[in-house]
Amino acid sequence: MHAAGRRTRDPSGYGGRPAAPVPPPPARPRRGSAGRRALSALFWAGLVAAVLPWWLDTPAGSLTGTADVLTAAGRVTGLVAGYLLLVQVLMMSRLGVLERGVGGERLSRVHRDLGATLLVAVLAHLSLLVVGYARTLGNPVTAQVGVLLRDFDDMVSAFAAAGILVLVGGTGIRAVRRAMPYELWYHLHLTSYLALLLGFGHQFSNGAQLFPPGPVRTGWIAAYLLVAAALVWGRLVAPVLLNLRHRLRVADVVAESPDTVSIYLTGRRLHQLDPLGGQYLRWRFLARGCWWQSHPFSLSAAANGRWLRLTVKVVGGHTRDLRDLDPGTRVWVEGPSGTFTAAHRTRERALLIAGGSGIGPLRAMLEELPAGAALIYRARTPADVLLQHELDWLAQARQTSVWYVVGSRDDAGPRQVMSPDGLRRLVPDLTRRDVYLCGPQGLVDSSVRALRQAGVPRRQIHLAPFEL
Amino acid sequence: MRRALLAITGLAAGTTALVVLKGAPEDRQVARELPVGVPVGTPDRTGPATPGATPQRTAATPRPTGQPSSTAGRTPAARRTTPGGDAGTRRTPAAGRTTAPKPTTRTVTGPVVSTEFGNVQVRITVAGTRIVDAVALELPQGGQSDLRSDRVDAAYSGTSGDVVRQQGANLDTVSQATATSDGYRRSLQAALDQAR
Repeated sequence: MHAAGRRTRDPSGYGGRPAAPVPPPPARPRRGSAGRRALSALFWAGLVAAVLPWWLDTPAGSLTGTADVLTAAGRVTGLVAGYLLLVQVLMMSRLGVLERGVGGERLSRVHRDLGATLLVAVLAHLSLLVVGYARTLGNPVTAQVGVLLRDFDDMVSAFAAAGILVLVGGTGIRAVRRAMPYELWYHLHLTSYLALLLGFGHQFSNGAQLFPPGPVRTGWIAAYLLVAAALVWGRLVAPVLLNLRHRLRVADVVAESPDTVSIYLTGRRLHQLDPLGGQYLRWRFLARGCWWQSHPFSLSAAANGRWLRLTVKVVGGHTRDLRDLDPGTRVWVEGPSGTFTAAHRTRERALLIAGGSGIGPLRAMLEELPAGAALIYRARTPADVLLQHELDWLAQARQTSVWYVVGSRDDAGPRQVMSPDGLRRLVPDLTRRDVYLCGPQGLVDSSVRALRQAGVPRRQIHLAPFEL
Repeated sequence: MRRALLAITGLAAGTTALVVLKGAPEDRQVARELPVGVPVGTPDRTGPATPGATPQRTAATPRPTGQPSSTAGRTPAARRTTPGGDAGTRRTPAAGRTTAPKPTTRTVTGPVVSTEFGNVQVRITVAGTRIVDAVALELPQGGQSDLRSDRVDAAYSGTSGDVVRQQGANLDTVSQATATSDGYRRSLQAALDQAR
């Protein structure tokens, strides 16, 4: 085996490879969807509450001309946009309830879709109102923009906010985002807080529904304050408390394969940090060149109260630097997050499908699943199979079937196994299991197709929080 | 991605539905802002307020329609009046709220103040907390009065007059038109008090 890290020391001093001498009691299956449904209902109620003042304030039949209609539509889209912006920021506030209840992965998916909607709502709000006002006053549209900027309070900052949101939304488009470095994209995204701030004023100085003092205005301001409080708690207070309590440090960096390393961490009172197998944390390694980046990595071993481990594949500049971390390096951590856990399954048994370094979170989850689980591990070459000793040990200790499917995706063997028939033959009770997938996007997509064809209901399929 | 498209479609459809539902005429009467009897039957863009309806001179300087008046009533946010011109009855909106809808931009009309040369009445337009326009609905007229009134009106009224510049009734007296200036300021002050 080649050395990817500087050292390839046996880490037995930190608890030994066979991670859990006494298997913890398996987590009971539970449905995580009741809370999600409540949150979704809350979202819709909020949306109705945002638009309701307009509905109540507008006398029926009062929209007589084109200008009126445009202005009214502009107001509605404005209220929707204001509400969606708050929801967008709230979803990214790292509040523990959301991160562990809804799951970071689902949150970011909803954030993406809602972001596109927000972008359209902002653009619609802006253009409808400019055209509507221009019509009403008989100005040309361009002149009307000037009038809005010059004579209306807080409109310069509002236009700036719209510009920021368009910029942020534009970089959210997948093709654009792929073309830019993650760090640039991330910091550009941070400016959306600025949009929240800049867009604040014009809602109250010019918003027909929010200008007059009353319950509507108060409620709207309260919503802003709540979101701000959630932000401060989730992004600032909670992480500071967590890190003060645990003070994590790098204990060791061990090469698992030519391009994969495991990072072991120790800290204080780790038994109080209780991440579930499959959850991830956001890591900031306080070493030169690394400290300003925070990345989510899953744990590759279940919580044991003594050490944490993440297994990272070297794919970019940051992960390359992680190979050279010195023991003792302080680590700033946020989390844990995610619903990709054994606790979120709907059935008793599970099938895990891993690809390459996607084995990490599944390896951690195996320790928390009841006996009878199954694992299919896809790897391109035998050298890509990670943590094999641990898996074999776990397979024995927890009566888990493990299949290593090695080969290129076009080879006959893997293709046969990963087909609907192949999966059914391997795991006959497939449709009565929860399936957890973690691996490269191509493998995940094709596996989901095969699983669906084999008859596995969609809600029994769990996807890993991030693409590998 | 598919869900994003769905959400955007929903947004467009929802907005359209809301506007169409509200736009359906149910009742020709619409809530109005101004007190009874003030001649503002039409939105500003359509021209000056009912000129010549009364023997006395109304609206000392009806803003010419062509003038690029940015603030011409900020009508988009202001409450609309139907072209039919109802008698100014306050109407509660359909939803049964006790107050009329509250617009961002409001026009407030001051009381008629009599001076030794004639009556003065001022109407202001307020956007948020800012005065953006002032119009004299009535000023003394005839002979010398015309001259005085024109001078006061030119100094005080309009979107860039003293009222908008000073944002209040603390205005310099127009020379040789003290009484008219004074009347203007009193009506204005009353309108401001009413706006607050």
